[in-house]
Amino acid sequence: MSTQVEQITSQERASNAAMAGLLRRLHTGNNIAVGVIWVVAMLVALIFVVIIVDLVIQGFTARLGNTAVLLNPDFWGGTELGIASEVFNTFYILILTEIFLVPIALGAAIYLVEYARQGPLIAVIRFAAETLAGVPTIVLGLFGFILFSAEFQLHISRLAGALTLLCLNFPIALRLFEQGLTAVPRDLREGSLAMGASKWRMIRTVVLPSALPGIVTGIILSAGRIIGETAAIVFTMGETNPFSGVFTLNPLIASDTLTVHIWYLKTQDIPPGITAAEASAIAAGSAAVLIVILLVINIGARSIGRAIERRITAA
Amino acid sequence: MPTQMQLQHVRRGHLYDRIARTVFLCCAILLVIVIVGIFFFVGQNALHLFFEPGGATFQGFFGGTTWDPTGVTSDSGIPQYGALGLIIGSIVITFFSVLIATPLAIGVALFFVEVSPGWTITIRFFQPLLEIFVDAHQHALALDIDIIRFFQPLLEIFVGVPSVVIGFLGLVVLVPFMTKLVAPITGNSPVGGYGWAAAIIVLVVMIVPTIASISIDALRAVPMSVREASLALGSTRWQMMYRAVLPAALPALATAVVFGMARAIGETLAVAMVLGGSDILPSRFGLDTFFQPNTNITQAILNEFPETYGVSRDAYWMLAFVLLVISFLFICISRYFASRRVYR
Repeated sequence: MSTQVEQITSQERASNAAMAGLLRRLHTGNNIAVGVIWVVAMLVALIFVVIIVDLVIQGFTARLGNTAVLLNPDFWGGTELGIASEVFNTFYILILTEIFLVPIALGAAIYLVEYARQGPLIAVIRFAAETLAGVPTIVLGLFGFILFSAEFQLHISRLAGALTLLCLNFPIALRLFEQGLTAVPRDLREGSLAMGASKWRMIRTVVLPSALPGIVTGIILSAGRIIGETAAIVFTMGETNPFSGVFTLNPLIASDTLTVHIWYLKTQDIPPGITAAEASAIAAGSAAVLIVILLVINIGARSIGRAIERRITAA
Repeated sequence: MPTQMQLQHVRRGHLYDRIARTVFLCCAILLVIVIVGIFFFVGQNALHLFFEPGGATFQGFFGGTTWDPTGVTSDSGIPQYGALGLIIGSIVITFFSVLIATPLAIGVALFFVEVSPGWTITIRFFQPLLEIFVDAHQHALALDIDIIRFFQPLLEIFVGVPSVVIGFLGLVVLVPFMTKLVAPITGNSPVGGYGWAAAIIVLVVMIVPTIASISIDALRAVPMSVREASLALGSTRWQMMYRAVLPAALPALATAVVFGMARAIGETLAVAMVLGGSDILPSRFGLDTFFQPNTNITQAILNEFPETYGVSRDAYWMLAFVLLVISFLFICISRYFASRRVYR
């Protein structure tokens, strides 16, 4: 009798020990896995912080003449050393593109959200949007070159560049605008229609004002993509500036942006009148300026969107 | 009884309605026109290559390794259209960059969705302690925020860092560093930092935020009940992630990875700047193949397209068409995975 009891307890003890071993192994495995995830996340975060910080540091350590490139007045001027014309072109092309992009993408988003019924047409439009979003930007650049520059006779010009950027940003702006529109509660629409408003009147007076935060976010996020794009505009907008100068609103002249300028200075010919060291310094300064502009836009997008949202929901 | 004026008003409203609807429909149709136009124009120009005199054969284009459409490097001056080297370059750097970026990105996503929300538990644990100092309950709760709401915008900023900026840093920082690092392998080659390896590293930096951002959405779409069920069965946190959450999110994660691939193969500026450029395909593949100036599809188009004309220009259109078809396939694959998603 007693031996039987002893047998059971020893069995239990053995299984308890096995259980404890298993538990220990599981917990060790868990700790290792969570630790690895921690390390990976911190490593990735570190890399990105270093990239941003390093860009700004490059702007202050690269030397143009006797001073750091970002502190040199020549760098901000309109000569070969300066980037004033590139900054002007960047904002010019940004505004020109948004003038095309916002009405067209917003119109398409309104159709998809307010009018369209489920059907083959919607499926085709959505598939087109996804496919266009996946087209490599350099292929879009070639497309813009053959269609806008050659077929439409726009040659290498700001207008051709803006139209190419329109094609590039159409899908993402559409998606952001759609999100803004679907965020508007259904009750608002029903209330407006119940008051006897026609559908267009409802969209104009109720939906669009309520969707404003989403629309503003969409505009500013697509702005970031327009400013940062290079490959799509190299063939359509040109790599260099005309001698007559760029400080004009003429959309039919070729011009370069900050991104194209960086690429051109670092990998293509160095323009006459500056040395290789100066070209490198200007590229470093331009990269720092570009990243600061993008950070301001990105952070601005969020705070402006939030401010508008607060005003609307409070009103 | 509606008056004449009221009727007119209603009729005008209907007219405006119909006009607005038509205009919006046209905007949406424009999207379809653009994508059809891209396939038409690029495809048309590309196919000239195979049907014009002096053009290439299909086998010659996809099987040959001598890329010289203008015929300047050979003595005979006969153009050569062997694009295999360029295509291999694109595929190799895409494959390896996605291979490296995927575990990193999913690690980041797991951290934000599964590990870091644990921080709020720590805060709750310290809450009584906090309340000694801060008598308002509110303050402790204010710390109890989802950390992801702070970090995801940051991730989106990195998705938006222009490729030319990454390429610039790659050229200024990475390439000189790599040249020194791999000197033993390349035999002190002064250009050893250029090439596939540098392109792969640059691409990893570019696609980790993309994959991570989509993966975070994928993991967050998995309902809490899946985690609770797994934990209730006695899983550790890692078992819960590995056995329950990751399989549940698998199709959506696959979509994220395919998106990363699509971005990697079409990436131009950053890759072109660190590849260093040389059209000659290495005769044998070894470790040192990764550390010598090399080329791929996008770099060839970017640097050489503007200087070409005629049939040799068609060769670059063909390269663009190959790129277009590959990225279209990636989109179709990602749509397939997206359609198999369980949780949205």
